[in-house]
Amino acid sequence: MTMSDDTRLAMQGTIEALTSGDGSEPVVVNLGPQHPSTHGVFRLKVTLDGEIVQDAEMRIGYLHRSMEKLAEERTYTQNIPFTDRIDYLAAMSNNLAYCLAAEELLGVEVPPRANAIRVMFAELQRVASHAMANGTFINDCGAWHTPLFHMFRDRERVLDMFEMTCGARLTTNYMRIGGVAFDLPDELLPTLEQFLADMPENIANYEALLLENEILHARARGIGVISPEMAINSSLSGPVLRATGVPWDLRKANPYCGYEDYEFDVPVGEQGDCFDRFLVRMAEVKESLKILRQVVDTLPDGPWLADVPLHARPDPGESYARVESPRGELGFYLVSDGGPAPYRFHCRPPSLINLTALKEMSIGGTLADAIVTLGSIDIVVGEIDR
Amino acid sequence: MTSSYDATAAMEIVNASAPGAACVDDGVLFLDPERLVEAVRTLRDAEASDLVFLSNLTAVDHELHFELVYHLQSLDHNHILQVKARVADREDPSLPSLTGVYHGAHLQEREVYDLFGIRFEGHPDLRRMFLWDGFPGYPLRKDFLQMPGQVRAGLPGFPHESEENAWPVPGSVPQRPMHPNDPQPEGELVVAEPDGESEESS
Repeated sequence: MTMSDDTRLAMQGTIEALTSGDGSEPVVVNLGPQHPSTHGVFRLKVTLDGEIVQDAEMRIGYLHRSMEKLAEERTYTQNIPFTDRIDYLAAMSNNLAYCLAAEELLGVEVPPRANAIRVMFAELQRVASHAMANGTFINDCGAWHTPLFHMFRDRERVLDMFEMTCGARLTTNYMRIGGVAFDLPDELLPTLEQFLADMPENIANYEALLLENEILHARARGIGVISPEMAINSSLSGPVLRATGVPWDLRKANPYCGYEDYEFDVPVGEQGDCFDRFLVRMAEVKESLKILRQVVDTLPDGPWLADVPLHARPDPGESYARVESPRGELGFYLVSDGGPAPYRFHCRPPSLINLTALKEMSIGGTLADAIVTLGSIDIVVGEIDR
Repeated sequence: MTSSYDATAAMEIVNASAPGAACVDDGVLFLDPERLVEAVRTLRDAEASDLVFLSNLTAVDHELHFELVYHLQSLDHNHILQVKARVADREDPSLPSLTGVYHGAHLQEREVYDLFGIRFEGHPDLRRMFLWDGFPGYPLRKDFLQMPGQVRAGLPGFPHESEENAWPVPGSVPQRPMHPNDPQPEGELVVAEPDGESEESS
């Protein structure tokens, strides 16, 4: 194959430019927006010196749907389906956080059975979401899809339970202001019992498969380290914060829906690296199962939805409610001007804010480590862009 | 249970180091935008308040002014404080950036800049985040209207509306009541028919 003189000269110029000076020039690589390891339409622009990351800059907005503006023209009840689509891997947690904020504004008392059902589905959602997070994280570390599909087997069972309760698997739209939309179907509790009986063995299998795995240790230990001080100053939350050793969990710190009645621990990490984030999520699944066991044993009878007008008009005021979603501190800030729609609807997105320290975590590591770090933060792009 | 930190106590802490920088109105702490950074740093470092975690940062457009809302959290004392600051200038609203105090303000301030057009002085990387450079207007302002033809008294039209690409007649889209149970507008509802004629309905 021959080459024209122009092309040859241009190539020589490029090679000379690349090899002049200290022997290299930084190369800019765009990861995404269409790339399997960016977990959605997310673009990470990294500047590389050889294989070492010198700078990492994220470009987002590909999934921006302007939900906060749309919500200002819809009633409080009509906004609930939007919250499903904010974090579509934890729709129940998003429903719950929004409903708590609206209930605070309206001064609604939620019946005890509704609270127990809410806790049940929030924890099932955590099991499903952590299965996704850990599975894709292991995928990013190079274990091609085997652990992912083992974990998806559990997630599938959780989604089946969502489907039999509210008819939807992903965008559930199950919570309502004042409770939940439907009571539990008869077949749910036996299915959940079977799930709770099977899960400990499954988790033991994952731990036997992964925790001592040499490749996983080599890929994730000491990668993407962040100190607890820096994590707090960067407003990180959820498993990313707890992996640094800070036991900050809103279910303990600011219990909602009766979490104070259930016994569970807050697992924390030690080194704040990617492996600790993985370990914290694995341990949190076990704690969620513990909570689910207690919810099933103490499930109260009674109504599951308080009497709230469909087009409620709260008094002028504001509310800020937070829950511990699988990704961290998820908050909704609502302002009412007395009308049927919120005057201002703001979501505090844990996925976006957890990315604040991505640059600091990635710089100095290799490009492959940046992918693992991004996977360990567990982002959902729907929540970043909203 | 996370308690609310007393706004008066916070005001005393701020005013001890920066006299007059804080005031309390109806139980909410308002800070002077000029001395915001100094005041928030005092609240973060003081032993009694210890507000080390910036939980939330957002803005609200109150049409006459913008209200910046900060939720500051103490992890050790487990209390939360809501802090507000007001910016009256709608043409070129600006405010000092909190990125020097909380690194976590970085992306949240960029989001507010993108959607409200409020500039944060001293922010290291203040660019639009979700929308592209040159996007007309700031969507979360109340004078940015959602739908073409939407009309609100005293406000300009939809930003994309231009002479050649105009929608039929502003205001011709009938205002649909949200629900039959909602209060109906005065007079009879006029529903536009596809063929251009209109028909009265009850």
